Amino acid sequence: MPSSKFNLFGYNSTMPLTADQEKLLKQDIKSKYFLQGPAGSGKTRAGTHWLMKLIQAGIPPHQILIFTPQRTLSLAYQNALYQEEVQAPGPVNSLTLGGLARRMVDLFWPLVGVDAGFGAPNKAPNFLTLETAQYYMAHLVQPLIEEKGLFDSLTINRNRIYAQILDNLNKAAVVGFPYEEIGGRLKSAWVGDIEQLHIYDDVQFCADQFRSFCLENNLLDFSLQVEVFLKYLWTSPMCRAYLSQSYRHLIVDNIEEDTPVTHDILKEWLPDFESALIIFDQDAGYRSFLGADVESARSLKDSCDKIINFDKNLVSGDGIRQVTLGINNAIARLKGTPQPNPEPSFEAVRTAIVSPAENPKYFPGMVAWVADQIANLISNDVPPGEIVVLAPFMPDVLRFTLTNRLDELGIPNRSHRPSRSLRDEPATQTMLTLAQIAFQSWETLPERINLAYALVQAIDGLDLVRAQLLTAYAYKKSESDFPLQPFEAIPPRVRDRVTFRVGERYDHLRNWLEKVNEQAELPLDFFLNKLFGEVLSQPGYGFHDQLDSGNTVAMLIESIQKFRWAFGEQLISDEISIGKEYIQMVNEGVIAAQYVQSWETADEDAVLLSPAYTFLISNRPVDVQFWLDVGSPSWYQRLNQPLTHPYVLSRTWEHGEFWDSEDELAASYQTLQRLSIGLLNRCRKKVYLGMSDLDVRGYENRGLLIRIVQNILQHARRETS
Amino acid sequence: MKLPEDFDFTQSNLKDYLDCPYRFYLKYILHTKWPALLVDDALVFEERSKAGARFHRLIQQYLLGIPQSRLDAIAEIDPNPDLIKWWENFLENVPHLLEGQRYVETSLSTPMLNQRLVAKYDLVLVQDQSQLVIFDWKTSGKRQRKEWLLDRVQTRLYRYILARAGGSLTGTAEISPQQITMNYWFAPHPEAPISLPYNQKAFQADQTFFENCIQEILDRNEENFFRTDDERKCRYCLYRSHCDRGVNAGDLQGFDAFELDAEDFEFDLDFDQIQEIEF
Ligand code: SF4
Repeated sequence: MPSSKFNLFGYNSTMPLTADQEKLLKQDIKSKYFLQGPAGSGKTRAGTHWLMKLIQAGIPPHQILIFTPQRTLSLAYQNALYQEEVQAPGPVNSLTLGGLARRMVDLFWPLVGVDAGFGAPNKAPNFLTLETAQYYMAHLVQPLIEEKGLFDSLTINRNRIYAQILDNLNKAAVVGFPYEEIGGRLKSAWVGDIEQLHIYDDVQFCADQFRSFCLENNLLDFSLQVEVFLKYLWTSPMCRAYLSQSYRHLIVDNIEEDTPVTHDILKEWLPDFESALIIFDQDAGYRSFLGADVESARSLKDSCDKIINFDKNLVSGDGIRQVTLGINNAIARLKGTPQPNPEPSFEAVRTAIVSPAENPKYFPGMVAWVADQIANLISNDVPPGEIVVLAPFMPDVLRFTLTNRLDELGIPNRSHRPSRSLRDEPATQTMLTLAQIAFQSWETLPERINLAYALVQAIDGLDLVRAQLLTAYAYKKSESDFPLQPFEAIPPRVRDRVTFRVGERYDHLRNWLEKVNEQAELPLDFFLNKLFGEVLSQPGYGFHDQLDSGNTVAMLIESIQKFRWAFGEQLISDEISIGKEYIQMVNEGVIAAQYVQSWETADEDAVLLSPAYTFLISNRPVDVQFWLDVGSPSWYQRLNQPLTHPYVLSRTWEHGEFWDSEDELAASYQTLQRLSIGLLNRCRKKVYLGMSDLDVRGYENRGLLIRIVQNILQHARRETS
Repeated sequence: MKLPEDFDFTQSNLKDYLDCPYRFYLKYILHTKWPALLVDDALVFEERSKAGARFHRLIQQYLLGIPQSRLDAIAEIDPNPDLIKWWENFLENVPHLLEGQRYVETSLSTPMLNQRLVAKYDLVLVQDQSQLVIFDWKTSGKRQRKEWLLDRVQTRLYRYILARAGGSLTGTAEISPQQITMNYWFAPHPEAPISLPYNQKAFQADQTFFENCIQEILDRNEENFFRTDDERKCRYCLYRSHCDRGVNAGDLQGFDAFELDAEDFEFDLDFDQIQEIEF
């Protein structure tokens, strides 16, 4: 049962503790500690041992709260309880800010519904997922764009407009300012053309509309959950008493990745706990674009009884440590500030950083070089699981090309996510296409070719050529008659080609769909449950024994079910068919954009391809890292988000200041420094730099990161010689 | 068979195993989601389960001390007309039974054969002289027979785990089975709860039963998770098309007659089912 995967960073009773870890574990459990140190210094492992210390001291696990910025970060603690030698009499609780807010609002809803101004306080609250919130935003904003000309000077995809307005509302909630100030704050920092000021006004208008709509309809998106919790429950004696009686001991990990409002809450809450351990990673703060605030995290130090320092990174070898020094120096030189470290040794840097003798012109050349180097490493006994390939965003085309090349070389590899979204999965397309046939009243009959594709998936033994032939004769878009003709209605020569056996299966499916069409409209999710269970997963049909398709369809149905639960009353009163609306939203890309989760056990000993930030947050050190596209500005540039601004909406931003190019440059340096040092702290031996003259999109690759690396090498060489 | 690293034995997965080893294998080892209907009248079934979850939430809120007038207002306008009746039944019949230190919606676990057994209780009361009383609220139409309840995996597991891990609630090292009673209270039937006191003999029997069960699961290899011979179990099983055990889901009446319990199908409005928003 013990997991090797978690033992590196998590609880492991057989691995000796470091002196720093011993020092922490000798402390009395009745106190509050602030544990700080660089990444890779063994803080989380110490935290899991601290948890065991609490349990071994007889503290009931249900009184222990693990608080992290993201649920997955509490896994090391949860998994510690599965170790054979641990005899915990119950699970511990893990919460994030979102989880805490949602739980409390749900539980204490009868206390807040009226005061918070909800339209139906005696009816249950309706918690929105990101997907359903996005839908409602689209529902409100789309007519404003089309009829009132909002955002008319913008040329970005509408879904990005909706997402950024939601992002602003969320930022207001987690930074802790009134959402009514979003537009004003963005405007006050803007230097540039006046058109942008109108855009910010539009943003505020839409945020206001959305909030009113949510209040009226008992809908709670993330921002409203947090605001209601803070304003009405965190201040309620009953809720506070419940929280302080429920949780007596606290462990917080990655506090630097959490938001100012979380820090405020924890600061006030700390005196109620009997013990606390707050873990702070000194060089991190990667989620600042999501509202993380390192400074407010650091301030929690003052609320603890004792500060404990872990000084040493236990992961990086000497060469990598030298590169870290070099990067800090190079960035200081670029910023014109004093150099913080002595120059690193040229030899050590040269050994730790590997780059091609000559850069290829195009990115496939870079991919080929990377794949060859990986093959070489593996032939020299580096386990594939100790190699990770990173890029700032890892676009699909890059991932696809690299995966193909590695497959050709027989190198096991895995990616942080599959390449297709739920909406693009063939199983999803098949189910939704057949639904459009069954629900003729929606007047959204599918294109012939889409139906042919769906039938290929649905009917065992039918290929695309014959499916096209079948649909050419059997599919008639008509307003009155059912659009699929019986098999016997098509010419005999076509029947012969399609074959009798396929014809029988087609007829059975057709009749089943026709019967549904004649009955009262079933909710789309139940319709799909029936279609899957009664036809498509039966022998002779495409999903029989296809466990993967089952998982995809289950995920689709879950998404529709959440949609129905979130919308039910609203859409029914508007007399809109929920199923039809769902399909329309899928087609517009508003929903079903998430990726299909797979339960296939990921091969741990495989080369991992991942976006750099995802890898950082997963907290897993490796021997070798490949950094791709190191000439690209994506390593440090902000995303183009014309409707929001992570710095201006942060708590540290001085109201009335302008955001100018100097701020932008300083932010780039800071991002690059955090990102590169964070990666190096998770690397033991070597970093390979992949680069081509032109990047994936055909732009020239001359960004800051490559300049910094060259700068380190030059200085180190000069110093050494 | 190696179970997934974070696997817990619970009443629902043990019941799945006892109903059909292959169902257990598909669901918990392969994590196969097979999105067929469980019961044919899916909307009524869903509504019934959701009303049950809302009722549980109402009791939880009551036990936390939220003013009853607010909860009455919520119960009165609940879309399911049964809920207000259940609520009135509860208020009339139950509160006087709830003396003691309350642990609401609490989870306990205990190790067994290097695995973990977990129970999530609606309510555990710790009363004077360390009597521990489990309450389980049921909203299903039928008030089940005592013998049937005694044999239920839930009863056996919940009492057993409390005997093993209840010390974390009482602050004492040992709990003897005699200190434990499990009460099932059926909301549509306002009489007294069905009370099932525990004892040493039942505790020993449960321990052997669960050990055998877990050992059997651990000893099986992939091919040995056989399909059940009792095809009635397939009527209310999602995997029936995968196993070629029928086309249509069983009907709701049969579901009730089978004395199955909608709550066992984990169809509650759990927060954790609402995807966490990554912000
Ligand atoms: S359909 Fe029957 S045999 Fe198949 S898993 Fe379900 S209960 Fe077992």
